[in-house]
Amino acid sequence: MGGYTTRLALRSLRHRLTAFTATFVAVLLGTAVIGSFTTLVETATGPISSADAETLTIMGAVVGGWGALIVLFSVASTVGITVTQRDAEIGLLRTIGATARQARRLVRAETLAVCLAASVAGALVASVTGRALLAAVESGGLIDHADYGGGTVSLGITVGGVLLVCLAAAAIAGRRATRGPASVTPGEERADAGRMRWWRVAGAVVLIAYGVSMAIVTVTVTKNSDDPYEAMATSGSNAILVGVGLALLAPVLLRWGSFALRPVLGRRSAEAHLARYNTFRRAHLLAGVLGPVIVLTSSAVGTLMAVGTDGRTLPAGASDDGDTITLLNNVVVGMLSLFAAIMVINAFAAAIAHRRTELRRLWLLGATPVQVERSIVAEAAIVAAVGVALGLVASLATIVPFGIARGEGVVPDGQLWLPPLLVAGVVVLTLGAARGAVRRVARPEPARSA
Amino acid sequence: MTSPPPPAMPTTNALEVRALTRTYGEGAGAVAALAGVDLAFPRGTFTAVMGPSGSGKSTFLTLAAGLEPPTSGRVLIDGEDVTEWDEEARTRLRRERVGFVFQAFHLMPYLTAAENVELPVRLAGRRRDKARVADLLKHVGLADRAGNLPAALSGGQQQRVAIARALVTDPAVILADEPTGALDSRTAGSVLALLRACVDALGQTVVMVTHDPVAAAFADTVVFLVDGRLAGRMDRPTAAAVAGQVARLDELVPHAAVTV
Repeated sequence: MGGYTTRLALRSLRHRLTAFTATFVAVLLGTAVIGSFTTLVETATGPISSADAETLTIMGAVVGGWGALIVLFSVASTVGITVTQRDAEIGLLRTIGATARQARRLVRAETLAVCLAASVAGALVASVTGRALLAAVESGGLIDHADYGGGTVSLGITVGGVLLVCLAAAAIAGRRATRGPASVTPGEERADAGRMRWWRVAGAVVLIAYGVSMAIVTVTVTKNSDDPYEAMATSGSNAILVGVGLALLAPVLLRWGSFALRPVLGRRSAEAHLARYNTFRRAHLLAGVLGPVIVLTSSAVGTLMAVGTDGRTLPAGASDDGDTITLLNNVVVGMLSLFAAIMVINAFAAAIAHRRTELRRLWLLGATPVQVERSIVAEAAIVAAVGVALGLVASLATIVPFGIARGEGVVPDGQLWLPPLLVAGVVVLTLGAARGAVRRVARPEPARSA
Repeated sequence: MTSPPPPAMPTTNALEVRALTRTYGEGAGAVAALAGVDLAFPRGTFTAVMGPSGSGKSTFLTLAAGLEPPTSGRVLIDGEDVTEWDEEARTRLRRERVGFVFQAFHLMPYLTAAENVELPVRLAGRRRDKARVADLLKHVGLADRAGNLPAALSGGQQQRVAIARALVTDPAVILADEPTGALDSRTAGSVLALLRACVDALGQTVVMVTHDPVAAAFADTVVFLVDGRLAGRMDRPTAAAVAGQVARLDELVPHAAVTV
């Protein structure tokens, strides 16, 4: 039976290559980035000075660790979306006799096949970019000298680790797809749709509480440390942690946010009217977009502002790790932003594709194609506004304590132009993703039946 | 001297189609879904359109609603020829002059019953009339359900909301596509009685596509389509008479012959 589900999985894959594109891209990029840095760790085991070895190992460990977490999130999100889109098909499989376990195995086999191809391709990319990275690190003066020693061991471990992460993501998605009873008609709205699972709330509370308490520790304890980087160690990732915590609460926060935005949304326009009720009553549909928007904003604004403060206030000669730390910060932010952007685009495309019949229904009832498009863009605007606001709040968990610790106070002394710029970028990305998605789907082609 | 053309006759037809034809595909593979159908639906009447699958029922509704332009022939709503109207004008037509009732209800899942009813008015950019929405919901027997989302309503209740929505713009004609196809027979009966009441009490015009002889018996007149052509009509239909006629029509369809 296992062989059969695998064959079924491969055929199913061929049918929905585009749906798996996002997973493929996320895993490919993730493996390439993580792999480039793990080759540094393998290089560090070679014949080089112990200071250089330490620098390379730290770089590899930090980026590898963050990378694994990010890949887990984005693969879980993209696989989850492709699986949810097929709840009717999976329900049908189970109706004709597939057990929940077989359905889960199907999801797992599909995901593994995509991840295997993508991570091997990513490892090939990393074998080239890893050399380039080492050269850059050396010419940048972060290390004295090292001969490239990366290869099959580090890349093999990377591919293995990424595949484990993919398995975990597939398990999450498969469980979600087979949670309910078997049915061919999943219905438009399940009664429990949008209800938050307890572990989501618990995870959010833990992350936010941890981020906030580390911020307090920064202001009260590490501020007084002799090592200027202790304050960064306790505040640097707070924005990301609080952002991820808020992202876990996205369905509830979107509902509240949409409610709070009521006065801003025009009372007259039908598009704003529809968008308002859709984001309020079906927040779970767009929560998958809101999450990455929050994390994108909070991590980019929080980390880049902290890097700016660091550059202005670092006592001369206090530490020779400054360049490494700035590089690591930038790499992690770049990675996070890249994946969050992929997730925003993919989640929007999925959310809209899922609503194809609903949008067609609006058109049947007399909405013009422009009205349909505008109502979706209005939804995106609500998501962007709520996400950016929450992301900025989360970014304060890094900016404020680090600024206080480095003597700049609550408001940083420079780079105040950066947050508006980043916010504008996030808003443009969100609206663009929505517009692209609805353009692809909602052009009403004359269909045969009314 | 030639005499001036006679003025267009004032018509009392809510919906009229003349030589209506729709061909799908081109060349040798072309299929005529509708091949020259003439039908008139006077104001304040209830007509059922019946026929075997592939007879052109759905195509007829699609063309009458202005969802697609016909290949040839005319569509007149309230005496006005709408055949050549562009997409935007036809969209306006759909939300102002035509009311829709679908088999699958087609309510927006995130709007309450009352908000669903007022949606066509909203889309038209006009001010909503709360009293009228409340009136209509009362008329369809759902006054106490105005604030419920569709997920909290039964199938019959959802279809009643859809009927109230179809009435909200006071359209020239209500087009119903298998309105009871997704309902059990008792609920179906009450929904059909409601459509009947729209005609009798409100003077509405209803055109309903159905394959169910019991549903057709609620109409004043039944017209039969076979292979895209008109194949007879029946006034004051009964379910038994309609069922007999449908059985005869099935025999007329050449491709219905079973080959083993």
